[in-house]
Amino acid sequence: MIRFWNKRLKLGVLTQDLEFDEELEQIKKAIKSEVNKKFAGSLAIRMVDSGSCNACEAECNALANPYYDLERLGIYFVASPRHADVMLLSGVMTFNMTPHAIEAYKQIPEPKWVITMGDCPLMKAPFEKTFAIKAPANNHFEVTHHIEGCPPEPREIIKGLLEFLRKI
Amino acid sequence: MRFIARYAKDLGKNFEVIDVFDEEVKRVVISKENPSIKTLAKKYPSAIWFERKMSDDFGIVIEDAFDKRVLVHQERFPHAIHPMLKDFKEKEIEFSEYVPYKYEVVSGDGIFQVSVGPIHAGIIEPGHFHFSQAGEGMLHQEVRHFYKYRAIEKMLEGKTLFEAKPIIERISGNESVAYQTLWRDITAMACGVEIPLEMRKRDAFLLELERVIHHLTDLGFIPNDGGFGAALAYASKLCEDARRKMKELTKSRFGFGSINFEQSFWDVESIKIYLEQLQKDIDFFQDWIMDIPSIWDRFDTTGILDVNNCVKYGGVGVVARACGIVNDRRLNQFYLENGFESVSEVSGDVSARFKVRLKEVQNSIVMMRNFLQTKSFSVELDDVKDGEYMSFTESSIGELFMSIDIKDGVIERFFARDPSFINWQTLHLMMRADIIADFPLINKSCDLSYAGNDL
Ligand code: SF4
Repeated sequence: MIRFWNKRLKLGVLTQDLEFDEELEQIKKAIKSEVNKKFAGSLAIRMVDSGSCNACEAECNALANPYYDLERLGIYFVASPRHADVMLLSGVMTFNMTPHAIEAYKQIPEPKWVITMGDCPLMKAPFEKTFAIKAPANNHFEVTHHIEGCPPEPREIIKGLLEFLRKI
Repeated sequence: MRFIARYAKDLGKNFEVIDVFDEEVKRVVISKENPSIKTLAKKYPSAIWFERKMSDDFGIVIEDAFDKRVLVHQERFPHAIHPMLKDFKEKEIEFSEYVPYKYEVVSGDGIFQVSVGPIHAGIIEPGHFHFSQAGEGMLHQEVRHFYKYRAIEKMLEGKTLFEAKPIIERISGNESVAYQTLWRDITAMACGVEIPLEMRKRDAFLLELERVIHHLTDLGFIPNDGGFGAALAYASKLCEDARRKMKELTKSRFGFGSINFEQSFWDVESIKIYLEQLQKDIDFFQDWIMDIPSIWDRFDTTGILDVNNCVKYGGVGVVARACGIVNDRRLNQFYLENGFESVSEVSGDVSARFKVRLKEVQNSIVMMRNFLQTKSFSVELDDVKDGEYMSFTESSIGELFMSIDIKDGVIERFFARDPSFINWQTLHLMMRADIIADFPLINKSCDLSYAGNDL
């Protein structure tokens, strides 16, 4: 453990490509101030996978890694829809998941918003419509913002969240 | 013999049922008038999900099965529909009346049920776990999935192999390269071409990179679920670096579109430098993590899968190797010549699965160095010939199997068996001596795919 702390102290703050870092820092600052203004400092997101390929989830998980560290900005992925402000929806809304996604949305207290992520919820990913798919998501929810990509990379998700915050 | 898969085909007047074992493939034809067949589950317990799926998909009756419940078709699915029949062409079905699903439960004085999912507390795929509890102890658990069922098998019918490719690579995002490798094998077979050695090396490199990414994710998340978050911070950084490498090489962080018949040009020197650094970082991680007693206290003896149970269920991949079964599709000359060493542990618990992953990352780095090369290759694809083509590979989870029938140049039947489809069925056997609070840790140590399982 001592060795770990030595390494940690020596390493300091992790930076990579400077230009990208600066851009990211700008976005992060903007997000923080929007979250402060509009959500009293903490924006709670409930991620719901309605039938993805799991790459979109992996990118959301990546938001917590030391390069992005979204929680520093007051954005939290929460365990229950009842703690959430926003539902972040990925996947094609399968026949089997649609009722559950709708139920999760119902459980979010007002005011609430839906953000879709990835091409799946709009049926723009390569998957084709079958009887087992109920997308597009806007047949079921009022969608405030969409983050496109297959999958959107972490920085695109962060940008998308800022766009959402500016929209509302 | 190890049981691998059981699935059916609609032949018009008849059904063909195909049983795939490691040593042979058996086939029987049954008439549609009386579509019934005997169960394999008495001898090979993991056949039961295949059979229940076959009943849902085709309406085939499994005469003597001990479990005839629906599998894929959930509470609101119109039960009279069997969508894999060729004459089912609907693109839209309506929700029908809610018919409750009967869970497998243990009942008795003071025993209660706990339902978890389909939506879980973190950023994870949906699935359901149903526990019978005596206090904290888990008496039984049923895994119930198919919430992500997109009907991929049906979706791909009528497409050419090339049209199907973007869908196949998105069946399970964290195993994309593995699925693409099988698509490559099948396409090469159907076109009657040899895959040049240089191309096989490139693809094998990417498959190992995918494995490294997947294992690194777990090497962080498993200790995190055991209460040691620092490991997640460390490993998720390495994972992000590896994903960026994947993007640099393939234009996609998940390697989507990476396995094709075209030449790629890589900066081999910079990859070597990257691998060197990764090696150092992993060695550091190993020294550090092996030295933290509270983690091993939590991992050791938790979630043990008994080797006999694993054999009986035909468990594959990391889960099987962690209980001492050397089962790996990379055990062949090509991989052995490039530094493959089979990794296994014997304790079958969370520790064992963690250590298998750690050692596999180290072995993958060795192989990746050997797979690097700068020779060019080119492949001319001929016309696709009709026929039945099968292939196997070792994904980051375990043995992946795919079979595609081509008729008149397009896909007549697509079938894939994700390693998760077998391993999910072994999960309940790991719970017997543990408390419910251990479940997330045990589940994470197996890290199975929901999307690949559900198709
Ligand atoms: S949008 Fe693309 S990456 Fe995201 S879940 Fe759908 S197929 Fe996967």
